[in-house]
Amino acid sequence: MKRYVYINDDESPTQDLYCDNRISNRKYTVWNFLPKNLWEQFSRFMNQYFLLIACLQLWSLITPVNPASTWGPLIFIFAVSASKEAWDDYNRFLSDKKANEKEVWIVKHGLKKPSRAQDVRVGDIVWLRENDEVPCDLVVLGTSDPQGLCYIEGVIECPNPDKDIRRFDANLRLFPPFIDNDVCPLTIKNTVLQSCYLRNTEWACGVAVYTGNETKLGMSRGIPEPKLTAMDAMIDKLTGAIFVFQLVVVVVLGIAGNVWKDTEARKVSLDLVKSLYAKFIDWDVEMFDQETGSSSHAANTAISEDLGQVEYIMTDKTGTLTENKMVFRRCCISGTFYGNESGDALKDVRLQNAVASGSPDVIRFLTVMAICNTVIPVQSKNGNVLYKAQSQDEEALVQAAAKLHMVLFSKSGNLLEIRFNASAIKYEVLDILEFTSDRKRMSVVVRDTRDDKIFLLSKGADEAILPCASAGQQTRTLNEAADQYAQLGLRTLCLAWRELKEDEYQEWSLMFREASSTLVDREWRIAEVCQRLEHDLEVLGVTAIEDRLQDGVPETIEMLRRAGINFWMLTGDKQNTAIQIALSCNFISPEPKGQLLLIDGKTEDEVCRSLERVLLTMRITSSEPKDVAFVVDGWALEIALKNHRKDFTELAILSRTAICCRVTPSQKAQLVELLKSCDYRTLAIGDGGNDVRMIQQADIGVGISGREGLQAARAADYSIGKFRFLKRLILVHGRYSYNRTAFLSQYSFYKSLLICFIQIFFSFISGVSGTSLFNSVSLMAYNVFYTSIPVLVSVLDKDLSEKTVMQHPQILFYCQAGRLLNPSTFAGWFGRSLFHAIVVFIISINAFAYEKSEMEEVAMVALSGCIWLQAFVVIIETNSFTVLQHLAIWGNLIGFYIINWIVSTIPSSGMYTIMFRLCSQPSYWITIFLIVGAGMGPILAIKYFRYTYTPSKINTLQQAERLGGPILSLGNIDPQQRSMEKEVAALSITQPKSRNSVYEPLLSESPSGTRRSFGSAAPFEFFQSQASRLSSSYSRNCKDN
Amino acid sequence: MSNDNAAPSSSSAAANGSADAAAPRRNSKRPKYSKFTQQELPACKPILTPGWVISAFLLVSVIFVPIGVASLFASRDVVEVVDRYETACIPPQNRTNKVAYIQSSSNKTCVRVLTVPKRMKAPIYIYYELDNFYQNHRRYVKSRSDQQLKSNSSQNDTSTCKPEDLVNGTAIVPCGLIAWSLFNDTYSFSRGNESLNVNKKDISWKSDREHKFGDNVFPKNFQSGGLKGGGSLNESKPLSEQEDLIVWMRTAALPTFRKLYGRIEVDLNRGDTINVTLGNHYNTYSFNGKKRLVLSTTSWLGGKNDFLGIAYLTVGGLCLFLAVCFIIVYLVKPRRLGDPSYLSWNRSPGGR
Repeated sequence: MKRYVYINDDESPTQDLYCDNRISNRKYTVWNFLPKNLWEQFSRFMNQYFLLIACLQLWSLITPVNPASTWGPLIFIFAVSASKEAWDDYNRFLSDKKANEKEVWIVKHGLKKPSRAQDVRVGDIVWLRENDEVPCDLVVLGTSDPQGLCYIEGVIECPNPDKDIRRFDANLRLFPPFIDNDVCPLTIKNTVLQSCYLRNTEWACGVAVYTGNETKLGMSRGIPEPKLTAMDAMIDKLTGAIFVFQLVVVVVLGIAGNVWKDTEARKVSLDLVKSLYAKFIDWDVEMFDQETGSSSHAANTAISEDLGQVEYIMTDKTGTLTENKMVFRRCCISGTFYGNESGDALKDVRLQNAVASGSPDVIRFLTVMAICNTVIPVQSKNGNVLYKAQSQDEEALVQAAAKLHMVLFSKSGNLLEIRFNASAIKYEVLDILEFTSDRKRMSVVVRDTRDDKIFLLSKGADEAILPCASAGQQTRTLNEAADQYAQLGLRTLCLAWRELKEDEYQEWSLMFREASSTLVDREWRIAEVCQRLEHDLEVLGVTAIEDRLQDGVPETIEMLRRAGINFWMLTGDKQNTAIQIALSCNFISPEPKGQLLLIDGKTEDEVCRSLERVLLTMRITSSEPKDVAFVVDGWALEIALKNHRKDFTELAILSRTAICCRVTPSQKAQLVELLKSCDYRTLAIGDGGNDVRMIQQADIGVGISGREGLQAARAADYSIGKFRFLKRLILVHGRYSYNRTAFLSQYSFYKSLLICFIQIFFSFISGVSGTSLFNSVSLMAYNVFYTSIPVLVSVLDKDLSEKTVMQHPQILFYCQAGRLLNPSTFAGWFGRSLFHAIVVFIISINAFAYEKSEMEEVAMVALSGCIWLQAFVVIIETNSFTVLQHLAIWGNLIGFYIINWIVSTIPSSGMYTIMFRLCSQPSYWITIFLIVGAGMGPILAIKYFRYTYTPSKINTLQQAERLGGPILSLGNIDPQQRSMEKEVAALSITQPKSRNSVYEPLLSESPSGTRRSFGSAAPFEFFQSQASRLSSSYSRNCKDN
Repeated sequence: MSNDNAAPSSSSAAANGSADAAAPRRNSKRPKYSKFTQQELPACKPILTPGWVISAFLLVSVIFVPIGVASLFASRDVVEVVDRYETACIPPQNRTNKVAYIQSSSNKTCVRVLTVPKRMKAPIYIYYELDNFYQNHRRYVKSRSDQQLKSNSSQNDTSTCKPEDLVNGTAIVPCGLIAWSLFNDTYSFSRGNESLNVNKKDISWKSDREHKFGDNVFPKNFQSGGLKGGGSLNESKPLSEQEDLIVWMRTAALPTFRKLYGRIEVDLNRGDTINVTLGNHYNTYSFNGKKRLVLSTTSWLGGKNDFLGIAYLTVGGLCLFLAVCFIIVYLVKPRRLGDPSYLSWNRSPGGR
């Protein structure tokens, strides 16, 4: 199916075929809300169970309590969930509405008219100003650049909407047709997609091709499946256990318990608390990025405690660890290395001299730097030239060339002017052979207007350029240069050129034009045609561009690694570059502490053997305190994942660190999937569109709202401004959330079991008939008020201060291993509730025996006992008391009496006058104090004993923190940091190093490791193998060049 | 054309997401600082130091032991005379089939003699104590109609009262199993020849008389069904004045309970013999229930009940014991709190 877009044609027959530009992210409509929401709520097992119980309770013969007390909370809880959904949906509706009613300018018959975004139709011409949000997918017709706007009629033939944001193979026909150019090919480069922002041009206008929910973005939106945290899973398991227990009780004692209501109440309070965790992340001033003005945001409010349980972090490199700000640092021109001493080639006197003396090699090198790109020069008013570039690397190169006096001065149409030492040279750009991630190079064909000679100028990755070098050229030096630069963590590009014969070009040009307008497999066809021109190149040299590490990256990684989190780097970059970046950001340790194992091979067999070797080494060394990491590239990974999944999985489990280079977005997602399948909690962090799949796949997706747009941040559960905020996100927010949820959920079980046990005990003295000791109102209030409010403020509880956690990230282990919520801690709470139930029950029935054994009074004594005990349990389990906690705990206790006094004044209630009678009796108060003393004494004693004599790490740190002194004496912290800085300095790419020492590949420095893992293979070999798979199927993400 | 396109297309692509210079966004996005949002509310962070814990335990024992002693004294001060009579009040020849005896219409008067062990000061409370009587059974507890008891207009509101709801299609007032099983043994007391007056007024809760049992509700059809459960009611007295019923309708939480029968408002001296003329009518024999008559004075803590005193002494003693233990352990094996050497990762750096 093809879609025909008639530009600017009001009467077009197809206009009504396509939807309007109304976007809708809503889940519900007014009409389907109730049924759909109810359906969703009841599709969960828990809710079905509750409904079943509620229905059973309608049968008055078997129910101990009033059905209203069952249906009331049920309806309340459902209403809360539904309101939350409705509110979310309403907010979505509002944001949709805002987007839909945004003002856009539509060009009709040459006039701009304001209109609402939702009224844009397919075929309309939309006019945008700089920083406007793009309302729908547009094919760009013109921008503020000199070509100007023209009045167009025509038709665009394009494929049906799909979600591939990297492909748009379409053709444009203009009316009336131009003679020699009736079909004009369009690609994704000619489009701007919905929700992007227009930058770098004053205005642009374009034809709407996809609108509303049919845009590329709309199609790829989809609702990601809800994520369940590990803790939720554990809580559900424990709830299941409680249900089984309850079922046994029901069968044995014939009493329908009341636990289920508490469980529902727990769900509500957990939801509440979790959204507060998320808010704390949003509110965190320390995670506010000053530079971009973006605060952190938790888009998924339900999974904060999972942050504390992260075991693997999969990180992207460019833009995530690095700033994605490119600076030209070094180059190698015809065998001469520039910039080694100063770390900056632009300041290298030799290069400056070479430029001044007009060395032809250098001039040509600079020419390629200046011309071979898609950078647009813009003259500013004060005469300076500004560059607007799509690729950061290209901009860096052009800037550098300009500093070396080779200024790309202007581009107008296909005429391009460069100025070298004030002499202007004009080139005619004939063709651009664009960069693709498969080709890994781009070329331009230009005609020198001075002598009409035609040149092909190419630049690209070394393994993409060097094989195309002319047979006679020695590429060894260049190869070495590229490797050396990669060693320093620099991004390398090779520059090359060739003079073309006029007839060779003309012949090729025809093929190229034909290939460019095919609709089927266009990319592949073009690549093939391009390859026919890109051969016998004369390689001029290598450039090296630095992508600086973001602030705080090494410290963050170091800290999180100490916290026991394993790091995997998944990057599209070169292996050497990746390894160097990994070294400089503490990802891997340098020799001799660290050791790198490489999985490599050109064929399947080789990969297999290398994988086995690495696995063997890994097994041997896993017991040693060594930092072993494996390195794998996309090709080997493809094979390993396909044919040796089991071995690779084992390797993945054994290895704490891995570097995967040259991987595609889908491989990133596969790796995440692999670790998830081994039951690890994974966190994926990235910044670009190529990380979106990995982010969505991982248990927790974190997006960096960085320079590559917001795609990743939008897809992610959490978005942060800088990588360094990750440590705060995990160590502070994740950890607190985990601790708080652990307490909250277990406490909820405790308090509901407490009541449940008392009911069971009571059934033994009531003829096992299932009489409820407590009346329905009290039970409801117990769950909803008395026990929920004090515990809700535990969201403010901090077991350790943030500073202590940052100093001892190892403490995160408690969260990762689920130390605070697991069957054994749960058993502790279970035992505690049993003990307390016994205390409350025995004391209240004995103290209120004989003439005092009136039912309502005994019930109220027992209930008061529970309330008092739970208040003290909260106190004993709270680590830090803020005003709010005191308010909630004591206020709740007072509230309990006030509520009951109020209820006691209502003559029709069963509790009429009960509370007043009790409060005036000394025996009541004496009983309550006895319950508190007998209930809390042993708990305090056990807690104290464990706290003092078998303290957990958390306890030790608490003591250290709060007693002041010794916390700073933890000697190894500071030295470690210092030594870390030293390492960074030593590895820093700006530090000049003698060539020989730099040249040694990292792997060869570990003779034993190398020998073990590679046998006799030369350690250097693996760097070169990529060249052979240029045309291989895997593609590289486009942002690396 | 393709060359013409080159320039705009590339710059538009530049606009397409990977914009270099992100437009400066307003700083208003910066979250507002407050101590609450930053989770920095000033907090007190107590820890369980030995000093605190030991003094807490000492304090508890210091408070609990005196309370225990006081409670125990209060309980000991209460003078209680208990007489179990359910078997004794059945003539020896009828003891093989007690149920048949109690259901027969013979004269069930029986005389019991009680000796006062200590001087008892008025008022002396008369209780009857039933054992193995499950007033807290679910179906029993529910078998009543509070509406009916309260007002005349809801006389027919008997749906909750099954099986004692209707007789011949008309409502029973008061309906339900609880009322039906009204306790009906009677006691009268004499000391020597002097008969002791039993005050049966105000033995029920005032709130019950005033708000739970209506003064315009009169018994109707009560105990006129096939099976007689217990006592009958005077049909000319409104329910609010039927105090025995009101007391009985306050169901007990335990299978052993005492209910107030009346008060003797003269002091009894040590060694006094009290003759109790007892109408043994209530059938506890079919479920092996015991019946006791209790004469008791009262203290500030209520009736005779050593439980609280003993429990307080036990808890107080345990706390003292724990405090002493902790002190000893602390002295014998002092341990520095928060010693970083307890952190395993400080012992082996890099280890988890």
